[in-house]
Amino acid sequence: MTSITPERSLRERFPRLLPHGERLDVGELERLRSRTRCFAEDHVRPRALEIDRRTGEDPSWFDWDLVRAGGEQGMLGLLIPEPAGGAGGLATQAAIVMEELCAACPGIALIFGAHALGVAPLLLGGPSQWDGVLAELVQSERTAKPLLMACAITEPEAGTDVEDPDLLRRARITSHARRVPGGFRLSGTKRFISNGSVARWITLLMPTDPRHPAETWTCFLLDTRSEGFAVARVEHKMGQRACPAAELTFDEVFVPDERVVSREGDGAAATTIVLACSRPPVGAIATGVARGAYERVLGWLEEDRAAKGLLERQHVQLALASMEEEIHLARQLYMDAATELDHTALGGVTSNPAVRAIAHVPAGVRRRAPMHGWLASDRARDATIALLHRTTSERAVTRSLALSSMAKAHGGDVAMLVTGAALELVGLRAGPVRAELEKLWRDAKLTQIYEGTNQLNRLEVYRGLCRSETISCLPPLHPIRRKTEGGRS
Amino acid sequence: MTGTTIAERIEIQAMASELAHRELAPRAAALDAGGQDVLTECWRLLAELGLDRVLLDERQGGAGLGVADLLATIEELAVGDGGIAMCVLLCNAALATLADEHLADVPAGARWALVPAASGTEVTLSNGQLDGGVACALGAYGADGLVILLDGPEPAAWAVGAGAAGLTLERDRPQMGLRAAPAASVELAGVSCAPARDGSGGSATAVNVASAPALLRAGTAAIARGISRRAYETALEYAHARKQGGVTIIEHDAVSDMLSAMAVRLALRPEIASDPAGLAIDEVQALAAKIATTDAAVASTTDAVQVFGGTGYMVETGIEKLMRDAKYCQLFPEPNWVAHDELMRPERTSRVAPLTRTIAGNGEVRAPRGRVL
Repeated sequence: MTSITPERSLRERFPRLLPHGERLDVGELERLRSRTRCFAEDHVRPRALEIDRRTGEDPSWFDWDLVRAGGEQGMLGLLIPEPAGGAGGLATQAAIVMEELCAACPGIALIFGAHALGVAPLLLGGPSQWDGVLAELVQSERTAKPLLMACAITEPEAGTDVEDPDLLRRARITSHARRVPGGFRLSGTKRFISNGSVARWITLLMPTDPRHPAETWTCFLLDTRSEGFAVARVEHKMGQRACPAAELTFDEVFVPDERVVSREGDGAAATTIVLACSRPPVGAIATGVARGAYERVLGWLEEDRAAKGLLERQHVQLALASMEEEIHLARQLYMDAATELDHTALGGVTSNPAVRAIAHVPAGVRRRAPMHGWLASDRARDATIALLHRTTSERAVTRSLALSSMAKAHGGDVAMLVTGAALELVGLRAGPVRAELEKLWRDAKLTQIYEGTNQLNRLEVYRGLCRSETISCLPPLHPIRRKTEGGRS
Repeated sequence: MTGTTIAERIEIQAMASELAHRELAPRAAALDAGGQDVLTECWRLLAELGLDRVLLDERQGGAGLGVADLLATIEELAVGDGGIAMCVLLCNAALATLADEHLADVPAGARWALVPAASGTEVTLSNGQLDGGVACALGAYGADGLVILLDGPEPAAWAVGAGAAGLTLERDRPQMGLRAAPAASVELAGVSCAPARDGSGGSATAVNVASAPALLRAGTAAIARGISRRAYETALEYAHARKQGGVTIIEHDAVSDMLSAMAVRLALRPEIASDPAGLAIDEVQALAAKIATTDAAVASTTDAVQVFGGTGYMVETGIEKLMRDAKYCQLFPEPNWVAHDELMRPERTSRVAPLTRTIAGNGEVRAPRGRVL
């Protein structure tokens, strides 16, 4: 296949945003991109059509070998903090990896993307989360028995609603986390959960009081071996089939107090911050889809006998130039959003001296009492929130969310535009490349829908940039202790 | 019969519409899954109503209707399933180009398909034998016979029975859209063939071979329009039922704007003029209609999935299928950018200006001035 990029290095593309020697070391990013590109070409693209075919026949079929191969490349520990054994990546690293994987196969990329989305809420839990599930995930990656995560937010009656704090207040939430001694009992249904049927751990959001979903929206860490948890079905999707989307049911599933991520009622803020983190990578996913289509159609035009002479047509030249232009702009947008988030909005958290000091404590010490007890305490959780307030602001996160939404929405449209145009260029007679382009076109549509529809994302752009509004997106310093059903306040 | 009255046309449309809603739409998912049994079952129903040979006269077992009637029928069928509508189009186009002596050998209820092919690059004819291959020939797999339509300044059509020696039909597995018209890779190795109608004689409803591409384009436009209608109706119903943020989603501008755009696209119906006898359509208008209508269908079906959100992306709702079907309309019988090229051929450009006036002006329907069916 003709390889189009990189014709310019990241250093050349983003000279101001990624100065050498700082936390987002451009040299490391280049190596990450190069390594991921090799993995995508060697492992992902050769399997893409076959996996799409098999999962089209049986949506529950899953390629664990590919996950193992990705694990060997560090794909599962990319976002996990270094003290927990991971690579300590942020949105920029995730976005770069996603573009490379998606140029080969968006469905396979989504397995790793959905895993990262499951990990993201745990990062907000600060050092208290490092030595639990996060360390287990890294360990599993090293032993070639990878464990996957998922994030469960969407419900049958609430899709877009649950991704916007304002809409959440009026949403038809049917799930409920009921307070019981020692923890919560979770009931309800979550829908379209990527990796939901294959995840070992799931971060999920439910209200502890369904009458006030926004105020009591709470993030839980769920062990999928818990009694009462079930995978109701795996959906038959239009595209991105390699990653299963499952409907999950919760029948009085017990989750202990220590598996409440951050604090009860902080879920809406956590969702907002997680979306600010996850939307630049979704913009990158869309950019990768578009790039994959562009590279394939250009390769076909250059190499296939059936396309002889077409490259001399102005129509074709103009179409290719438009594709290149749109892909370029989409990449600029997602890189801008990702680096804004990593540098400005959340960068101060990870570089904070207190956090770095805890990171230098050996894991063995952190896991023993009394340090473990302190890290798991309410005081430590409150301290993490306080740190968030000191190192960033609601305005910074709102602006970052808006840029992320812009990257996501624009990227999704570019993915549809470019894959559709590529398919039209080759037509029905093109042979094997047609199947690849048809798959990418089917894959592309999801990028306009997940992580909030493009319409919702553009409303975020309006609020955050056009109106310079500031949304309440940080957990309160002093949480409102609401008396929930079941008794304890 | 070629001079169908308005009342008769409405009656035909109503019949096709009822068939689409009662029989085809409930089977659309099974047809999309590639089931041959369900295709056979649907085809039997269509053949019983004479929809496999609409253009043939009654002595040929046909309905004796005109092209406009066929297009109206196809649009209604496409509301139920675009792929089945494509089968009807391809079969009618194929049978209508067959010479009378060959048509007599085609049993009632047989499903034929017209296969457009590039002369020379895809298929060559030498000494009455066809060689070459056509990828992704819609409706060809499982068909009882094919009419290979070779392009060029003087198009020619050649009839080939499904069992002909040297003919290989391999199912096109990746086929993404219009899957009820199963596509095949057609391989021809010295296949003996019979010439189809040359346009010089035959029955009053004969389709001139040279006009067959216009029929395919106009028919594809009709299918795209039927798909768009289905997308709009389904999305509108959902938008009134689904609530987000405490109100039905149609109350959100983001959704109503998309639905409005879909309605506007449907309201702008490209004109395809037919001659007084109802047998002829304008090839320039057919091209323009194909481009405009299929582009509109892709836009509307994409919006329909967006209105449904994640639910629309799931196969079971049947919405994403409309998107796939619409995309295939955009690519058949040629991709729209190639159709634009066709429209700008020197012999056609002089006729584009009057066409524009017809669409944008006083609503007058002009008699076609090009080749006629």
